[in-house]
Amino acid sequence: MNSVITARNMGLIRCETCGKLARDEDCDDYQEHCPRCHGHMHMRVTNSLSRTWALLITAAVLYIPANVLPIMTVTYFGSGTPDTIMSGIILLLQIGSYPVAAIIFIASILVPLLKMIALLILLLSVQFGWKLDDRQRTRMYRAVELVGRWSMLDMFVIALLVALVNYGSIAHIVSGPGATAFGTVVVLTMLAATSFDARLIWDREEGND
Amino acid sequence: MSTVDEIHPAEEIPRNWIACKDCDLLLERVDTPVGEKALCPRCENPLYQRRELGIEHTLALALTGLLLFIPANLLPVMSLQLVGQETSTTFYQGSLVLFQEGLYWTALLVFSASVIIPLCKLLLMLFVSGSLYVKYYSPLLPYALRYYHHVDEWGMLEVYMLAVLVAVVKLKGMASVIPDIGLYCFIALLLVTTLMSSLLDEDCFWQKIEQGLQGRSE
Repeated sequence: MNSVITARNMGLIRCETCGKLARDEDCDDYQEHCPRCHGHMHMRVTNSLSRTWALLITAAVLYIPANVLPIMTVTYFGSGTPDTIMSGIILLLQIGSYPVAAIIFIASILVPLLKMIALLILLLSVQFGWKLDDRQRTRMYRAVELVGRWSMLDMFVIALLVALVNYGSIAHIVSGPGATAFGTVVVLTMLAATSFDARLIWDREEGND
Repeated sequence: MSTVDEIHPAEEIPRNWIACKDCDLLLERVDTPVGEKALCPRCENPLYQRRELGIEHTLALALTGLLLFIPANLLPVMSLQLVGQETSTTFYQGSLVLFQEGLYWTALLVFSASVIIPLCKLLLMLFVSGSLYVKYYSPLLPYALRYYHHVDEWGMLEVYMLAVLVAVVKLKGMASVIPDIGLYCFIALLLVTTLMSSLLDEDCFWQKIEQGLQGRSE
C-alpha cells in the first residue's frame, strides 16, 4: 500500500475554522492560534472520544424522559390530556394528517435515534479499531452532522402552539417536562457530533502503512 | 485534484496546499470551474467550491436580510380565530410568551435558534462583506468570520418554517388560521438567508481577508 500523505505526516495542522495550514513546531499543538483566523488549532480535537462519549451518554439517558414524559398538554373546553411525542403522532394519524405525522416521526423519533446509533458505531469502531469501511463511516458522520438540526422541529412546534393558543379556559396549551428533555437531547447530540473528530477514522489506516 | 507526492522541506507552506477537513489528506489545490465541487479523493468530502457570487452579492443579501428581519419578527405572523375571538402573534412575542410561562430553557433554545443567531449571522456577514467591499481591512475581520462560522449551524430558520406549517396543520381542527404579512416577510427572509449561507464562498473570503491584512501590515 502506498503511503498516504496527510497534513499530520508533514507536521502541519489544519485550522478547523478557516482551513489554513500551519506548521506544528515550537508549540504543543494545543495553545497555538491560527495565523489567519486566530482560532485555537489542534492536530486532533482534544479528548474528542471522551467528550463525544460523555455527550452521547447524557443524550441517551435524557432520551428516555423525552419520550416518556408529556411534551405538551392541550386543554380544549376544559378537558385536556397530556401528550407525549408518540401520542402526538398517533393523534395526527387519527385526524388523517399522514404527511405531518411522518415528518414529526422522522424528525423527533427516527433522526435522534439513528443519530445516536451512528455516533455509537463511530465511537466504538474508532475506540476498538474495528475494520469498517472508512469512506462509509465518514459519509455516515457527515449525514449525522447534516440532519441533526432538523430534530429541533418539535421544539419549535411546541413553542409556536404554546404562544398561539392562549384563550384561558376555552383553549390553551402548556408544554411539559418532556419538551425540556427533548430539547436538551437535540442540543447534546449536535454537540456530540461537533466534538467527534472525523480524522480519527482515518488515522488508523496510516498507522498500518 | 492531485495528491501531494513530493515532500518539500520548504520554509513556507505552499499557498496551494490544502488538507481535507474529514480525513486530513494533504492535497494541492487545482482550479475548478465555477460552481463545481472539488471532492477529496480519499473520503469524498467536498473540499471547496468556487462560487460565481462575489462580495457585492453577499453584501446585498445580508442587507436585504437585515431589512426583512424587522417586519418578519415584529409584524403579525398569523391570526387565529377561535369561538369568535381573534388573536394574532408575532415571532418575537411567541418567544416572550415562553419566558413569561417560565419555560426558560425552551424559550432560550427557540429564541436563539430563530431570532438571535440569524440576526448575528446577518450582522456579522454585513460587517465582513461590507468591509471587504470597501477594502477596509479591520483586524476584527477574522474574528467576525470565525464567529459566523461557529454559529452558522445553530441558526435554524428553515426548521422554524417547517414548524410553522406543522403548527398550522395541528391547529386545523381547533381554530381557523389566517396567514398574515409577517409570515410572507419571514419566508422572504428565509430565502435570503439560505441563499446567503449556501452561496457563500468562505474560502475566498478567508483568502481576501488574509491578503488584505498582510497588505496593511506591510
